[in-house]
Amino acid sequence: MASTSSSEPTHPVVFTTQTQYALPSQKFMIPTTWKRYQLSQLVNKALSLPKPIPFEFLIRGEILRGTLAEWCAEKGVGEEETLEIEYFESLMPPQRMSTLPHEDWVSSVSCQLSGYFLTASYDGAIRVFDYSQNLLHKSTTHSAPISSICVVPKSSSSMSDDSVLIASASQDLTARITHVDLSPSGKAKSQTLASLHLHTAPVSSVSASLTGSHLLTSSWDGLIGLWDTSIPETDEVPADEVPGGERKKRRKITENGDAPPPKRKAPAAVFKSHIARVSRVLFGPDAKGAVAYSCGFDSTVRTWDVENGVCASTITASSKPFLDIALTHNGQTALTASTDRSVSQYDLRVSTSSATTPSIVTLSHPATPSCIAVPPPFSSFGSPASTNALEHQLLTGAYDGVVRLWDLRSTKGAVAAFRVWEGAGMKKVLSVDWACGLAGVGGEGGLEVWKVAEGMPSS
Amino acid sequence: MGSEDEGEEEEDASDDGQVDEFPEIDTRSDTEDEDYVEDGEDESEESEDEEEEDEEDSSEEGSDEDMHIFPKAKTVISDITGQPKRVYPEIEPDYDSDSSTEDTPNRVGDVPMHWYDDLPHVGYDINGKKVLRPARGDELDNFLKTVEDPEAWTSAFDKNLQMDKPLSPEELDIIRRLQQGENPDANYDPYEPTVEWFTGKGKEEIMPLSAAPEPKRRWVPSKWEKQKVMKIVRAIRQGRILPNKPKTASTQPQYYAIWNDEPSNAPAPLPAPKPRLPGNAESYNPPEEYVPTQEEREKWETTDPEDRERDFLPQKYSALRLVPAYDQFIKERFSRQLDLYLAPRVQRVKLQIDPESLIPKLPSPSSLKPFPVYRSLQVPHEGRRVRAVSVSPDGGWVITGDEGGVVRLWEVIVGKEVKRWTFKSKVGAVEWCPRMDVSFFAVAIEDHIHFLIPPNLPAPILTATQHVLSPANLPPAPAVPSPVKWVSVPAAQSSSDAPVLTLNLPSSPEPPKQLVWHRKGDYLASVSEGQAGVWMHQVSRRHSQAPFKKIKGAVQLVLFHPSKPYFFVATQRYVRMYNLAEQKLLKTLTPGIRWISSMDVHPSGDHLIVGGYDRKLCWFDLELSDKPYKILRYHSRALRSVHFHPTYPLFASSSDDGSIQVFHARVYNDLMTNPLIVPLKILRGHEVKDGLGVFAVRWVPRQPWLVSTGADGQASVWCS
Repeated sequence: MASTSSSEPTHPVVFTTQTQYALPSQKFMIPTTWKRYQLSQLVNKALSLPKPIPFEFLIRGEILRGTLAEWCAEKGVGEEETLEIEYFESLMPPQRMSTLPHEDWVSSVSCQLSGYFLTASYDGAIRVFDYSQNLLHKSTTHSAPISSICVVPKSSSSMSDDSVLIASASQDLTARITHVDLSPSGKAKSQTLASLHLHTAPVSSVSASLTGSHLLTSSWDGLIGLWDTSIPETDEVPADEVPGGERKKRRKITENGDAPPPKRKAPAAVFKSHIARVSRVLFGPDAKGAVAYSCGFDSTVRTWDVENGVCASTITASSKPFLDIALTHNGQTALTASTDRSVSQYDLRVSTSSATTPSIVTLSHPATPSCIAVPPPFSSFGSPASTNALEHQLLTGAYDGVVRLWDLRSTKGAVAAFRVWEGAGMKKVLSVDWACGLAGVGGEGGLEVWKVAEGMPSS
Repeated sequence: MGSEDEGEEEEDASDDGQVDEFPEIDTRSDTEDEDYVEDGEDESEESEDEEEEDEEDSSEEGSDEDMHIFPKAKTVISDITGQPKRVYPEIEPDYDSDSSTEDTPNRVGDVPMHWYDDLPHVGYDINGKKVLRPARGDELDNFLKTVEDPEAWTSAFDKNLQMDKPLSPEELDIIRRLQQGENPDANYDPYEPTVEWFTGKGKEEIMPLSAAPEPKRRWVPSKWEKQKVMKIVRAIRQGRILPNKPKTASTQPQYYAIWNDEPSNAPAPLPAPKPRLPGNAESYNPPEEYVPTQEEREKWETTDPEDRERDFLPQKYSALRLVPAYDQFIKERFSRQLDLYLAPRVQRVKLQIDPESLIPKLPSPSSLKPFPVYRSLQVPHEGRRVRAVSVSPDGGWVITGDEGGVVRLWEVIVGKEVKRWTFKSKVGAVEWCPRMDVSFFAVAIEDHIHFLIPPNLPAPILTATQHVLSPANLPPAPAVPSPVKWVSVPAAQSSSDAPVLTLNLPSSPEPPKQLVWHRKGDYLASVSEGQAGVWMHQVSRRHSQAPFKKIKGAVQLVLFHPSKPYFFVATQRYVRMYNLAEQKLLKTLTPGIRWISSMDVHPSGDHLIVGGYDRKLCWFDLELSDKPYKILRYHSRALRSVHFHPTYPLFASSSDDGSIQVFHARVYNDLMTNPLIVPLKILRGHEVKDGLGVFAVRWVPRQPWLVSTGADGQASVWCS
């Protein structure tokens, strides 16, 4: 490959990759006028791939956008310096699939149920859409805004395939478990089975374990509740003795659906360690659900031993109130979004005694990042080779209405960014979920569905 | 006149008399006569003296004869002068030569004798033979020798011979004379008779020295002297001159003790500055690097003489004889004299102050994180001006009231409006009750203050809130009925949709412009327009009172002290501090602002900031002074709101220029350390509409976040 024409200036380059398309480790003299396209062609020709695969090129943690000469001039890299260029399969740019307007803001989106989108809204309703943008069901579960929902995986075979359990957390201080029957034959039905009573402040998030046996709720009062998903026969918590009309009204709403009132459940355990609002709690990646992670406004990320209900380790940042947390694929690092406009990656294995833990990677945003989504570990159409790239990808939604696709190897800028609800001004993105090659973006303007490839070559 | 005539006549008369007397006065002749007499006497005496002296001399000569070193002189009568003279005998060089060292065998001469210290001999004799060192005993021998030898005390060490030699009688005589202070020469006669050359008998000068006749003035009395004397005589007669003036104090000699004064402690006057020593540049043949180039020469010529670094140009000459005369010599000497004359003789301690160092060293804002730096979100209010904002004590919720009468409740972090209450008129103020065990807020609209309960409260707090706002059994009515009526909805019908408790204030054209809670959440103060606009409402007793019957000036703002029972009342120009418990005025603060717009007290209670419509912000240290500790003027338009963060060392001010400025304000417990105020950040983003900017800023408790509302109908949350 060093047989390039001698007239134009060249630059010594060594190619590395973590994909299966490895080049021999050899120094190449690359013309500095080359861009990504030429480099990609070079790799394709060198490997004589049967089908052309576009590649992205990463130089010192930055994806090459212009020519090599421009990059060198910007960084002040001399001509003699050998550059190490890493390459991986490039992604197709995200495409907008559909827009589903809502009456109120969408606070949480779930795409985990294949074939359906679940949204929770500030009007207290859970909506179920299918892929053809039809509203299948709407159940007004809460009288107050819902802050978070999650799909409870089926723990037992008793339920039919078309029914699903949904856990929702709300500002009415409760979380609820709702059973939605989505059998294609008839009209979808829903029934609120239980309400979870622990918190004395709005519940900020709810998440289920992989097996669906347990739920975790976090609240503004700094508590985390652990619940099992079994529905009790009777109320475990006595009803509030409030002589206000508010409660009556809510009861009226719930009683409208000619269903028995939800059973009032008590928590299995309460985790107390946060000293401020807990913004997000989720289970660890292992199937047993023995570990949980939470982040809060006290600038800490805490690891919980679920069995014993104690805080196993704490990562403390300096004045970074965290808004959301997500785990990477190997489960060893956590991605957190904080109000200082950064998304940080923390190593969960490190337990330092120092006051603050340094982050591994910091992705800075122009606006407050409100939510993080990582691709699900087992994508239905992901090839095993692409899991490598999968580990480094994440989506973040921010208050400026832009969803950004990041590669953790390239920290300087997002790989791709797309604006949702275009033409409607700056509307906040409040929730992002990413599964099955689709990203559901919920926020001020309702729900938008985008096709975002999960770290695999576009087919 | 007559007297003068008489005097003149007298004068004439006396003149006549004096003229008669004058020839008799001839002092010269008298003295000459006396001289003659005396001369004669002297001569006789002198002759007697001579004889006596001669006798004495003759007698002394006999005794001193052996002591004379020199040959005896003979006195003969000179043939020429006829006077006796001394004649010494002729000196024969062979025998009579005055050589005291004749018998000295050592002929080394007058050389330092220590040259021979280490040698066995002490010199050489006339034949060149060594003169051996005489034997010298030790100290004991010397001492014994002095005892035994009677002449030891008149002997001295002869360096030449290195031995003791007895002194000759002449030398002893010289020593004696020197001891007695006499002339060492024995023949010297201090009392020699004078030789009279022109006096005495037969030696008088008879002939005059010149043939000129004696001038007349020698014997004619002086007319002018006489006139002068007569003038004095007349003055004395007329009493114009007192012959003996009475002795006055001033004429008496002044005595004083010169040692009584303390010696001055002032440092000795400094020596005159020394002229600078010439260096290489002043040399007639300086090194090449000192010779100015053409550019330097031109530069030197173009600069003013005062600004020149040196007042000459180094010049190079190949030889000293080619150097011309120094043309600036006179000028340089003159300036040197000026220097010496004008040089201040004081030690001037020159202050080498870098102007940069006078600027106080402020820490970098990046080291004072966290503080709000960007706008996280905006909550639109349909374009209506939002004047009232309040953040819940737990930091989760914000209420805003706009001019359309809509009160919104929204989340701080998401900005989603959760509930709204619509009233008929514009909202004057909203304020969240600072109590944590209950949750409600007060809204001032028209002549009413409404108390509202936010939705979604946990049951215990809701119950407690309802108990506080509409208790089942009302407290006893106060003895003095108040014009303010308290109307509450029974707890059973209360909801979060409508006010639970309403206060009806006396009618006023404008709604109350400020509500402020006491820290404990029981007292609520409201400020309305007009006289007696300050009301103090006590929720637990359901009673309102006006603490001030009459206040000079229109009350702008009131404020509770966070820890003491103090109450701040701001009128247009002054802030008064009252003690509510003792019912008295503590102090009046004068910020020097023409119209106070905003005020807040530091959570410690010792500091107060006051903002004004004339763009100034004053920081008061309440312990320090009634005057501002600092006056900050940084906004380009009127200040609208100031607020201290309850926990972080921050405060913020908003202005009609559409900007919010965030400051770091660290207050030290140490009373000696001044508060540290560091400007951190200017937050821009609110639009200025109709000349109105940001109406209110409020900090979010527990977080370094700021909520602001403006005339552009937006409420913004600024995050760190």
